[in-house]
Amino acid sequence: MTLTLSILAWALPLLGAVVPWAGARARGTGIATAAGGAGSLAAAIALAVRIVSGHPLKLLGGFIYVDSLSAFFVATVALVVTLAGLGSYSYLRAEEERHELSPLQVRLYGTFFAVFAALMLAALQTGNLGLLWVLVEASTLASAVLVALEARATSLEAAWKYIIISSFGVTIALVGTLFVYYSAIFLHVSPDQRLTWPTLFAHASALQGPSLRLAFLLVLVGYGTKVGLAPMHTWLPDAHSEAPSPASAMLSAALLNTGMYAIIRFQALTTAELGRYANDVLLIFGFASLLVGALFMIECANFKRLFAYSSIEHMGIIAIALGFGGVLGYYGALLQTLTHAIGKSVLFLASGDVVLRYRSRSVSDVRGLLPLAPVTGLALLLGSLAILGSPPFGIFLSEFTIVRAGFGSHAAWLGFLLLALLVIAFVAFSRTAVGMVFGAPPHGTASLAAPSRWVGGSPLVVGLGLLLLLGLWIPGGLNELIMHAMRSMT
Amino acid sequence: MTSATSVETILLNLASVLILLCAFACLGSKLFDRYVGYYAVQSVLLSVVAAIVAYDLDAGPLWALAVLTLLIKGVGIPLSTRRYLLARLSLKRDAAIALGLSTTLLIGAVLTGLAYFAMRPSTLPGLLLDTAAVPLAMAVVLLGGLCMVVRRHTIAQLLGWLIVENGVFLGAITLVATFPFIVEAGIFLDLVAGVLIMLALVSGLAQRLASASADDLRRLNG
Repeated sequence: MTLTLSILAWALPLLGAVVPWAGARARGTGIATAAGGAGSLAAAIALAVRIVSGHPLKLLGGFIYVDSLSAFFVATVALVVTLAGLGSYSYLRAEEERHELSPLQVRLYGTFFAVFAALMLAALQTGNLGLLWVLVEASTLASAVLVALEARATSLEAAWKYIIISSFGVTIALVGTLFVYYSAIFLHVSPDQRLTWPTLFAHASALQGPSLRLAFLLVLVGYGTKVGLAPMHTWLPDAHSEAPSPASAMLSAALLNTGMYAIIRFQALTTAELGRYANDVLLIFGFASLLVGALFMIECANFKRLFAYSSIEHMGIIAIALGFGGVLGYYGALLQTLTHAIGKSVLFLASGDVVLRYRSRSVSDVRGLLPLAPVTGLALLLGSLAILGSPPFGIFLSEFTIVRAGFGSHAAWLGFLLLALLVIAFVAFSRTAVGMVFGAPPHGTASLAAPSRWVGGSPLVVGLGLLLLLGLWIPGGLNELIMHAMRSMT
Repeated sequence: MTSATSVETILLNLASVLILLCAFACLGSKLFDRYVGYYAVQSVLLSVVAAIVAYDLDAGPLWALAVLTLLIKGVGIPLSTRRYLLARLSLKRDAAIALGLSTTLLIGAVLTGLAYFAMRPSTLPGLLLDTAAVPLAMAVVLLGGLCMVVRRHTIAQLLGWLIVENGVFLGAITLVATFPFIVEAGIFLDLVAGVLIMLALVSGLAQRLASASADDLRRLNG
């Protein structure tokens, strides 16, 4: 039963890949994509419930391995796939009506969106670090097609930068994986098991320190490229701004988290042998990312790039939380992963609606969104406030937890530094976002057909509702899942 | 392979050094045709290394990998790159190089030294195989990376990545020898899919920009 749920969780999104080749056009593809995401989310939640109340799922010598940490990330990613799937429906409908996308492009979108989602969900459910690498690299390739989909010179350029930088980075992570394998050569287990996370975790104190140290650095640089940690972040703003908006949401809220999941797995292996080494390295990369994200947000003329820099900033915050460690740090990191994923999905999906209406990604072209499109405008405004960490939204709670972890850590001044950088980010981001929402709309903006409007608005409303809920009250089940997951982190 | 003088060890070391030389040759060349040629030679040598280790450890899956390497990396990728990119876009001389050749080679030499320093015995106690191939593999990874940084043309960057990949593969078979086969096969599949998508992107870019040099890829800034 648990196995069935685990398979359903990654296989259901593939519905969106089958339907377009069976003759469906934008409408059918959009519905299949959204339905696949919703089914996957339901399976993921049921899976999480079973894992928390029972044992981790471990099959085929660890090639399939789902513990509560995996289950948490699977549920998060499946939620993003659902929201982005709903966004895909209105994106595909609107672009087909305008003849911006050919039938082939619609098919490619459906196929690669589905494959991308399935690969990420599968990557989160394997205990074999080599297979994890294979699936993460494959997800890079699938998402590069989405970035290039609209086939403008700029989107091809962004896709090239993305695929070449990410592939190089992920290859470095493979070298790191090799050294993890190597650090386990004195373990008396079969060769396969030297790449299997639960085995390595159980024997973490018997791993070879020097090669493990090298391995973690290589893995952090490698998967950190996927996560968008500075200074390996350079592909991220281009790819996020050039991809179709639902794909941007998937990149920012699902792909980055998948990379972070890999880093967390490797960090957990180092604690026994190297103590706080991994924490300190994560703190350095985290603060660098937060700084880069905050500074580049100040002078950003393209709102999708603005959101992308905000993603770099947030991944930095999560890395910092992992660096602080302790109950508060790890709890904050996981909660932040979930809240950022929801918030950034809302923002990118709202930005998709803005791009469709204004035909521009430039901040200066967008005025008066609120009177023109009340739902999108309100979602953009509230979503921005939420992502910046204002109460009463969930991100306030997670960032507050992380700042508290900072004050409680061995270097309390890092907590102050974190607060100061968050303030810079707040000012830089809100200045731009508020300007877009208010004022009078320019002439010549388009309005969308009614069904697209309703379906397009639904993920925004659902996402904001969830964020509000998480800010006021953390459901008991979620709390239990996070507490459970933290056992796999130290 | 415990004694340092066995025939296998000597062959293994020789092949690894030649693989490094291929990476250097690629760095020192300006012709696209040569880049692809050196990559093909390097891949064939890599399949030889895989075959030696397979013979030595008597490992079946490694034989399969040696054959796959020869067919895909040694023949398939070079041929398709030549036919579908170099010939169709009539590419000859790479003019988009950020650094002079001699400076590049000098940096390459420094990186090779760095690889030896990083892989000194204290980092890697008790090597599985008694060879110098591990630091050489690391050097190939770094040289491939250098190639990607110094060369601005998309095809040169693609080949740089392929060289990096070859370096990792060399490290994998000499350092750990036996990855689970499904993982190795997956890595291969990723490589093939990656090359296909990259080839499509390069030809798409070539159509849009008239030249597929990353030098022209300057529109996305800030």
